[in-house]
Amino acid sequence: MDLRFTEEQEILRQTARGFLAAECPKTLVRELEQSEKGYSPELWKKMAELGWMGLIIPEEYGGIGYTFQDLTVLLEEIGRNILPGPFVATTTSTFPILEAGTEEQKKGLLPEIAQGDLILTTALLESDGVFDASGIAIKAAPKGDAFIINGTKLFVDMAHVAGHIICVTRTKEGTAPEKGITLFIVDSATAGISCQVMPTTAQDKLCEVRFENVNVPKKNVLGTIDEGWAIVEMILRKGAIARCAESIGAIQTCVEMTVAYAKERVQYERPVGAFQALQHIMADMWTAMETSRYLVYEAAWMESNGLPCTKEASMAKAYVNEVYRNVSKWAVRLHGAIATSNDHDIPLYYRRSKAADTAFGSTDFHREIVAGQIGLV
Amino acid sequence: MDFSLTDEQKSRSREFYDTCKNLSKKRPPSLVGFEAIYELDECWEYNMYCAEEFAKKGWLALGWPPEYGGSGDMMDRVLFAEARGYYGTPGADIFGVQMLAPTLLQAASEEIKREFLPPIARGEVMWCELWSEPNAGSDLAALATTAIRKGDEYVINGQKTWNTGAHRAHWGFGVFKTDPAARRHHNMTFLLLDMKTPGITIRPIPYLDGSAPYCEVYFDDVRVPAKNIVGQEHEGWAVVNLLAGFERSGINEIMSMMRGLEQLVAFCNETKRRGQPLAKDPLVRNRLAQLACELAAARALAYRVADLQNRNEMSLMDASAGKIFFSELGERFAFMAGDILGPYGQVRTSRWAPLNGIWEKMFHEHFITTISMGTNEIQRNIIAWYGLGLPRMR
Repeated sequence: MDLRFTEEQEILRQTARGFLAAECPKTLVRELEQSEKGYSPELWKKMAELGWMGLIIPEEYGGIGYTFQDLTVLLEEIGRNILPGPFVATTTSTFPILEAGTEEQKKGLLPEIAQGDLILTTALLESDGVFDASGIAIKAAPKGDAFIINGTKLFVDMAHVAGHIICVTRTKEGTAPEKGITLFIVDSATAGISCQVMPTTAQDKLCEVRFENVNVPKKNVLGTIDEGWAIVEMILRKGAIARCAESIGAIQTCVEMTVAYAKERVQYERPVGAFQALQHIMADMWTAMETSRYLVYEAAWMESNGLPCTKEASMAKAYVNEVYRNVSKWAVRLHGAIATSNDHDIPLYYRRSKAADTAFGSTDFHREIVAGQIGLV
Repeated sequence: MDFSLTDEQKSRSREFYDTCKNLSKKRPPSLVGFEAIYELDECWEYNMYCAEEFAKKGWLALGWPPEYGGSGDMMDRVLFAEARGYYGTPGADIFGVQMLAPTLLQAASEEIKREFLPPIARGEVMWCELWSEPNAGSDLAALATTAIRKGDEYVINGQKTWNTGAHRAHWGFGVFKTDPAARRHHNMTFLLLDMKTPGITIRPIPYLDGSAPYCEVYFDDVRVPAKNIVGQEHEGWAVVNLLAGFERSGINEIMSMMRGLEQLVAFCNETKRRGQPLAKDPLVRNRLAQLACELAAARALAYRVADLQNRNEMSLMDASAGKIFFSELGERFAFMAGDILGPYGQVRTSRWAPLNGIWEKMFHEHFITTISMGTNEIQRNIIAWYGLGLPRMR
């Protein structure tokens, strides 16, 4: 047991921290919230040059072949600075290609992703808004050498700028909802696809994507026909840990900003941070951060080493969802009225706690997984 | 980053678990909760028996230097604590083995180490802690009990309180005011004393559940050899701080809760309400799952603390955070389990009590961890002042 980061990971962290501090000021974050694209293509290109998009892609496909845990180190820094854009969407959609893609699919997509030339996303949720297989109704019907997809996906992260969309479809009505699920890699320029950005709390460009008679060649099936749900579970598991790592960084910023402000802000002729009523809340914020941190690191370590961690990933997500929301709420309250102004940085974090909470499975969704994993019948 | 154990550690861990499991076969059914060992004779005898068995394997001296009979390292100590916590096995004296021994190793003279460490390692001598006083709780430095040097003895007069198991303990360690004229924090001395010394009167305090594991200890001209000192005369505060640092990562309590959760899950699977297992009730599932998440978070943080301590690095903030978290988790767990058990949650150990009445016991025992070892409010001050650097109000 050694819970320190490797030297390589420390370098990655320092590089990312310096880069993001310089390149992603909060003025840019606000600007991107209002912009149509929701990300900065120039910044995206620079991130690609640092190797970030290729971080988890093996060298033979143009990446640098780092581990999942290395990725979470980077994500923690991204979360610290709440960098907007399609980084999580792209990386979490890269994993299914790495793990379930054909050689042709890998060769065709991975080098482009690593170069920063291809943005990916995964279209999972539909009108039910649930993360289990019962929510998948969108149909993909075989027709000759292709499938025809019809239906609507919702909450698809950055779909409006994605070059390809991994679409989770129903190809067979079976007894169990998990049976008959098939994933397709869909070129978003295909005729019949339309996309509209939904107005969300974090203004993070979640999209409605409509598929009207969209023709997708059979070779674009990702994994095995009718047996795609296992891939979705993998995406949810990795995505949950990834978003948790991001949240840890955001939680840390909330704690640091609040403590710094409490030392500075004077009322009753003393810094408000001298009052125990506030000190104890800050101690609780710090405690919540540390309990989250090692829970997430442990899940990331297990995932990174190929150990089964369905339970640990769900535990981390269910727990961190609430911690991020609570800590950012307290950050607003301890700042006082000033942090309810949209000009303040803390609300940027508070609003993102809502996005983090629903992405890759809500608290109750993951708790139900945990309930099964701890042996409840 | 690596959360894994080496093969050697895994096999050590298995040995710890197997031994505690075997010992649990002789466990008296009346031993419910953490403090019952101090209550009933059969429980105290079981405590001494477990101590003897652990001593035979050298496990009461884990992490000690070999010259004092030690073996293994800090990680072994953590793994041993996990196994004991899981099976609720007593025998590794909280005060002697877990707190005093590491303190002596760092702060005591060679003579004191040679005299007091071997009986701890043999599991023969059980200790109690003589710190708090009626007017010195969280503000321990406000203590008033004096130990005045007369020749080669100290003469102690005054009162200590909340002394766990003082009526069972063979020896006690405490801090006493030795220089009443000196300034705060430089006026007290850390002393070791035989609890059979004339002039000591011990009175159990009735605890809120009707048991009496804690005592008041009165001192009336109690004479202690001056050689029984740890650290420097009048500088006992430094020893107090050192010893407080050895007050556990919480792994023992966390593993005890892990087992409690497993047993509660089994209970919910087996017990039918409204024609179906309790385990099918979505509310029960949600609450148990939430608790499991928090327990996993507590355990991960305890490993963090252990990992830091293994490398002799400071763990002040994380240790305080861990203590706050696992102890308040204990509260939540006790209340939640009580809710799930419904009216049975109030039944004391008897034929009507599910799970041998553990959750009725826990309704009272959770206060042990939130209040002792530095109240959680003091722990929050530690994080705020020493960790976050917030101004200390005077």
